[in-house]
Amino acid sequence: MPTEILADGLELRDARRARAFAAMEADDIDVLLLGREANARYFAGAQRLWTAGTRPFGPGCVVVRQSGAVHLVSTWDEGVPGDIPHENLFGITWNPGNLLAWLRGIDGVTEARRIGTDSLTPRFAQLLPKLFPAAEFVDAEPSLESARRVKTPEEVEAIRSAICVAESALATAISELRPGVSERHLTAAFMEAIARQGVTTPGAQRVAWVSSPARFERRNWTEPIGDKDLVAFDAAVVAAGYSAEVGRTWPSSPAAVDKSTRALYRKADDLLHRLLDACQPGASCGDLLEAYRSGGELLPPFPIATGLGLGFDLPVVTGHLPRTADEECLVPGMVLALTAYAVGEGSNGALRNDALFRNDAAFRNDAAFRNDAAFRSDVVFIKEAVLITDGAPTVLTSSPQWRP
Amino acid sequence: MQRDRRAKLKDAMDAQGVDALVLLGNSNVSYATGASWPLADPGRANFDRPVAVVAADDEHPHLFTAFADLVAPDLSLPEDHLHRPAYLEFDEGAEAFCRDLAEIVGNDARVAIDELPGSMRRVNSSFFSEAGIASADEVVGAAKLVKTSDELGFLRTGLLITEKAIAPVQAALAPGVREVDLTACFLRGVFDLGAEANILDPIFQVMPRRLADGPWTTHGDIACPLPTTERELELDDVLWVDTGISYVGFASDFGRTWIVGSQPTVRQHAQFRAWREIIGAVLEVTCPGATGADLTRAALAASDGRKPWMEHFYLAHGLGIESAEPPFIGTDLGEGYDERQVLVPGMVVVLEPLVWDDGAAGYRSEEVVVITEDGWASLTDYPYDPYAD
Repeated sequence: MPTEILADGLELRDARRARAFAAMEADDIDVLLLGREANARYFAGAQRLWTAGTRPFGPGCVVVRQSGAVHLVSTWDEGVPGDIPHENLFGITWNPGNLLAWLRGIDGVTEARRIGTDSLTPRFAQLLPKLFPAAEFVDAEPSLESARRVKTPEEVEAIRSAICVAESALATAISELRPGVSERHLTAAFMEAIARQGVTTPGAQRVAWVSSPARFERRNWTEPIGDKDLVAFDAAVVAAGYSAEVGRTWPSSPAAVDKSTRALYRKADDLLHRLLDACQPGASCGDLLEAYRSGGELLPPFPIATGLGLGFDLPVVTGHLPRTADEECLVPGMVLALTAYAVGEGSNGALRNDALFRNDAAFRNDAAFRNDAAFRSDVVFIKEAVLITDGAPTVLTSSPQWRP
Repeated sequence: MQRDRRAKLKDAMDAQGVDALVLLGNSNVSYATGASWPLADPGRANFDRPVAVVAADDEHPHLFTAFADLVAPDLSLPEDHLHRPAYLEFDEGAEAFCRDLAEIVGNDARVAIDELPGSMRRVNSSFFSEAGIASADEVVGAAKLVKTSDELGFLRTGLLITEKAIAPVQAALAPGVREVDLTACFLRGVFDLGAEANILDPIFQVMPRRLADGPWTTHGDIACPLPTTERELELDDVLWVDTGISYVGFASDFGRTWIVGSQPTVRQHAQFRAWREIIGAVLEVTCPGATGADLTRAALAASDGRKPWMEHFYLAHGLGIESAEPPFIGTDLGEGYDERQVLVPGMVVVLEPLVWDDGAAGYRSEEVVVITEDGWASLTDYPYDPYAD
């Protein structure tokens, strides 16, 4: 991280904008009103203040296809690239009337036939068509997702840089793992370590969680970790806008690892290799789900693959969206956070008729998940960042995994 | 706490003629269900967000999440109110969710929602026709305005964690220390002390002495808040600090001015005294029944008519499940809007006036107060060092 607030580099910006404008052209979108930071940054290349959690939609970035102009809500030019002139900046406003007046004054917006948004609120869904009665309003998120999901070489470099920070901080957090410390303490160690490297924005904020059956008895993440516990680390940072994620599972005391846990580590490794084998260009994302099924592994309740990039990128592969997975193909240039999640056979070796996850009761009618309501057990969780190429995938992460 | 919230939501739903709420925004879900979790980056939060459905005639909310063990361990929700995750960024997910929604609230319910992602608009559902769907933000906004005593307790704890974690950061101030080192110290502290999440990239902004030395702005006023960098602090730097965390779903807010490695000059002490006069004048009129305009008038009168807050922000904002929530006072919504903001007991307000003294930077701090039956009470007591009256 530099000592000044920098906009994204010229090559990165140019390559992204070329893709994004091509997507607008292909989908015949004249003007974009963007609320999501990832989309705004994809076009503008500006660094704005980070906050955690979802944000309500508001058009904070406006893109006009014909002129190629990018307009941005920003009260200052710090962190804004020089190709967005001052007259294209509009100060932070709390008044929707002022915001709408700004939109109306932007060259090319009132003439637009098709205006795309990346989300809407009920209020904007009512206001915008009244303000621009001649325009058809369309959902632009699919176009933007299709532009964003394949990374430019500069983006892959940005993700690699973010991975370096995440992996170094992960190593720090793992070095503090021992029986008696809490999940929260490990999270604190991780957060401090990323900031020391100049990155002050995490991607997720529960960095460590006990993945032994003991997790079902834990009331909160301040409790001490036991001497037979496995701890899953889910390290995620956002550096210069780009996400990096890496996951590992470590025993709190390696000497206490028993035979069945060692077998579980091997099982997770096998699953990871099956997943990597499925990461072929042109393959369906459904093949990733199949990599779980073919080995008899239970799907976790969260996605097994998500796109890495600026914010939320495709694909998102989960057993809850099987049709979406089947319809989505892996394409060279995609970067995935790929999760191997291996569930053991239960601490007593027997299937138990209670829930693996506390919400499994809700999965009772959901065929994909009926099985994972079966037993409580250790979990070994591994997450790698993987670049899809023309051949075998490139694993971008290299954090050491505990080996039996 | 959830029983009180439930009653307030029901009143707000009745008042706005709504049978059910569909909530996608993290803080709205947290308010309606009592669930809380460490918030993710906004990009990731868009696809793995929990979703809530609140039906007017049901005492329990419904929660859709992949992380029930994390977000909902102690909610005592009936089993049939916990659902598989709703992936509303995808048509397949939106279709499945709308089927569940119809089962929960019936087909003729008047539904309010807080966000309409494209998939939700595409899915053929009578709930989400773009013409005239009600805004759930307005329902939750009305309910959350006044805090219950339980809520105030959690807010106090979040503020206390923030103050405890910031003290060693202030102690570490020295020439040569980088801005990000302050962040590192703060993040370590808040998590060790029990924060659920950091909600804002903490601001440790070195202020220019003169406006003309700072960045260009649309209004010619101060550029703040700017993100931290690896810049090393220098002797006599004036730092404006602004940060906040979440604790059990409640936001905290902290703002002070610090000086690196030296004591304030006579001129800087005078800035602080001027700030004390403004905050004193505002608190003097802060009581139930006062309007936002009463507060802005008091602030203006105490600073010779010069607006003592940032042009792009406000004199005051509410604090609760979000780090800045209604009431907003002194924004570009205008004086008429401020006149309509009436303080009532139980509101939590962050006052953030500033004094700019071109040539010697300025002073800015934040005061968090709760409106009481007969005035206000402070929720914080962090010192103003190194400044003094």
